[in-house]
Amino acid sequence: MNDSQPQFKLQELHTPSSFEGVVWALMGIEDARTIIHSAPGYYFNMHNNALMNDWPMELYTSHLKFSSVMKGGEEQLANVIDAIKELRPAALFVVTSPVTETSQDDAEGVCDRIGYPNTRVVRPAIGESCNQGKEAAFQALIDLMDGDAEKRPRSVNLIGPALCMFNWRADVYELKRMLSEIGIQVNAVLSAGATFAEIQNAPAAELNLCMYPFDYGVETAEVMEERFGVPYMADIVPIGFDNSLRWLEQIADHFDMDIKRYLASCVQNATHFIRSNLVFGTTFELSTALSFENHNTYALGIAEFFKKEVGIKVPLVSLSNPEAAERVAASCDEVLVSPTLDLKKERFVETGPNLIFGNFYDQKLASEEGIQNFVVADIPTAGYVASEVGPFMGLMGAKHLVQTAVNNTVTKLLIDTKGDVAGEVSAGGADWDVAAEQALQQISLAVPQFVRTFAVKKVYEASQKIARERGTRVTVDIVRDAAESFTPGRFHAKFAAIFDAAELDSQQ
Amino acid sequence: MPIKNYEHGCSTTQALATLGKVEGVIPLVHGPQTCVFENQMSTLYCRPAKLITAGTLLSKSEVIFGGDDSLKEQIRNVYEKHHPKVIVIINTCIPQLNGDDVKGVSMEMEEEIPGLRIRSINTGFVYTNAMLRGSDASWLAILQTLDKTEHEPGAIGIVGRSGQDADNMGAIGTMLRKAGLNTYLFPEGHIDEMAKITRAEHIYPIHLGSYESCKYLESEFEQDAEFIEIPVGIDGTTNFFRRVADKEGCQALHDLVDQEEKQARVELEKLRKKFAEDPVRMLLVSGPANEMSMGKIVAEFGAEVFVVPSMKDKFYKQERAIMEERYGVTFIDEDFGSLDELIDEIKPTVIANEMQAETESSARLIPSFCIFFYLADYGYDYALNFGKNFNNMTGPSVWKHWRELNSRYAAV
Repeated sequence: MNDSQPQFKLQELHTPSSFEGVVWALMGIEDARTIIHSAPGYYFNMHNNALMNDWPMELYTSHLKFSSVMKGGEEQLANVIDAIKELRPAALFVVTSPVTETSQDDAEGVCDRIGYPNTRVVRPAIGESCNQGKEAAFQALIDLMDGDAEKRPRSVNLIGPALCMFNWRADVYELKRMLSEIGIQVNAVLSAGATFAEIQNAPAAELNLCMYPFDYGVETAEVMEERFGVPYMADIVPIGFDNSLRWLEQIADHFDMDIKRYLASCVQNATHFIRSNLVFGTTFELSTALSFENHNTYALGIAEFFKKEVGIKVPLVSLSNPEAAERVAASCDEVLVSPTLDLKKERFVETGPNLIFGNFYDQKLASEEGIQNFVVADIPTAGYVASEVGPFMGLMGAKHLVQTAVNNTVTKLLIDTKGDVAGEVSAGGADWDVAAEQALQQISLAVPQFVRTFAVKKVYEASQKIARERGTRVTVDIVRDAAESFTPGRFHAKFAAIFDAAELDSQQ
Repeated sequence: MPIKNYEHGCSTTQALATLGKVEGVIPLVHGPQTCVFENQMSTLYCRPAKLITAGTLLSKSEVIFGGDDSLKEQIRNVYEKHHPKVIVIINTCIPQLNGDDVKGVSMEMEEEIPGLRIRSINTGFVYTNAMLRGSDASWLAILQTLDKTEHEPGAIGIVGRSGQDADNMGAIGTMLRKAGLNTYLFPEGHIDEMAKITRAEHIYPIHLGSYESCKYLESEFEQDAEFIEIPVGIDGTTNFFRRVADKEGCQALHDLVDQEEKQARVELEKLRKKFAEDPVRMLLVSGPANEMSMGKIVAEFGAEVFVVPSMKDKFYKQERAIMEERYGVTFIDEDFGSLDELIDEIKPTVIANEMQAETESSARLIPSFCIFFYLADYGYDYALNFGKNFNNMTGPSVWKHWRELNSRYAAV
């Protein structure tokens, strides 16, 4: 293979395209309606996807048949628009699908002919990414904005939220709370959860804030600056305590506001939190893998926060944006850019993190390898309910991330490493091979200090029990069996090398 | 006068944790509900199983009229459910004040339940400022139930610390066995295994808090007990093994130590260099006696070490002399009101303390950790692993970040 050619990777799990990006960015606008100009398959799949992710939806389709594609689907589209306009939506979006992009239906002509106000056709380009699709949708929204809107002093727009961005609702809630604490109003959110009137009035804001600069939104902010003169900020991602404070400080500076007293109270509050016994007492020995191929901003922000502010090691980050990958490398041991499933699975096992953040498929992969400590934090999700509770952004988000990491690991480690509530302490002694004793000591060094003594005790007692049942001495094999049965899966990879060496040693 | 007690826990807790880790023994807490509940919760973290605690839950009338009947009833209940070989009654402050005839009840119940051995220990306020004595008293109670056995020629016994030591003495036991020495460890997870300690000719305690038990082994089982030093760190581990090798006439142990020490010294020198480049001034306050062992490990790396000891028995005095002479460790004997005072005086860069002191150490945003997590500290590997991960475990860069954050926003 020519090295200069990009390697084509086997994509077992397909990533969303610009089509999904457009639809997901538009379908979150509360009083607008979106029509997918497509064969029914696209509609059904969008519906199923929304169902799996628990996203609210109000979608329509022109349900084209093969014959209508051949003849042109304009008439069917017109029929659907005619029906929907009776519902008097605040805005109407027609999203072309790859089929109608191929047949090049004149959707714009249909919309012009019907003349319903605030209607736009958005054409996701075949082969473009989901994030490019979202930018395209936002461009369509810009076209409908009121450039003469009267300025609202000390107001901002939040650019980015879309139904597909994990936790968007909670993050928006928290960022709005923080902004309101310093006297700044959110004029409009682009676009999830907003009304069309809010979006139309977006140029009234004095500042645009890009929530996901490593995913999308910056292009939209640049166009708004050019057209409406609204400046933007995209250089600080408000994830973690430090960045959340800097974010607020930068916004306050823009508005020439003095918020020192407020920032001091926030730092005091955050410092009280991290001084809790169980924060640094455990986080310094925790490790998390971050798998965020649909949320590069989270990947970068959380990795930097964990490493710098709470000492949680990040052995592995998987994402999709090469620029973010370059920057996140300073905060983790290994970066994967859009890896194959096999590679990701292998690295999960090899790096053996205490906890993994990722999507449904990551959870399945981890579960197959016995890694149970998992936090759902990216799409696709399945059977997962999300609300305003539990942000990852802002000051509350920082606390939430820490408590999520600690509560998902420490209690489980304690449960894992203890016997039954009223169970026996020991089944009795057994003679040990020296190699087996040495292997036990070595694996103990891989276990965090805060559970080490009783974790080792559990493996020790379990080994003796197996040996007594088999009527043998405790061998390396028996310790391996005990360790694999009685310790959490995430340690297995770390233990494997120890046991292999010990077996070699015992054979010599 | 101190405004807090900076010890790891009450001697009742220590006794419950110690006895609760031995199969065949059931500890029975004789005291009011407060004592039983609080001690159950205090030991929850470190007990492997049998998380439920048997107790007498003395009522107000029993405090007035005596809790003997409740005690008898609970002994019957415990025996019926668990069929232990031994029940140890942990006699807490209230029944001691009350003058409950715990020994009399024990004798009466031994007659009622043939084969069951019942011993009792007094804990609580009799051992204030020496929590680890709860462990010594517990072991003494177990030893008092054991029968005399013939000594096995050349067999040795290793006596460790309280409950947490069960299974964490491997670093010592493995080396001795590898050298061909018939070695019995005490504690073990099962009373039958613990009973084997009586077969040893020579006893080597490897931590503090077993002085009385060792004296009992000497007098009752005619064993020779010698505390050499705590075998932690490189020098400590080597010296311990060499003294055992000399006493047991075991050249194989000397050879093994030569081999292990040679490798360990290379790593130790690297660690000393690292500690010299980034000097550590460490204050260790009243752990479950591991303020001594962890202090010794860090002092060997070249850190300046200050220790507030948790107990002051004979073994402590011997170990303290070693730490002072070998590493220049400073011991704090004077009373202090609060940890704040010590921090002001010593200006440590790292603090190892118990949780009740965390509020004071963390308020200064000084790297600190909870000392009671760090218990499996014997041998070469633990020390080297701890040294290599010292920065990860204490997180100086994270604490520095928080100091800067506070300084930038003037919150402190």
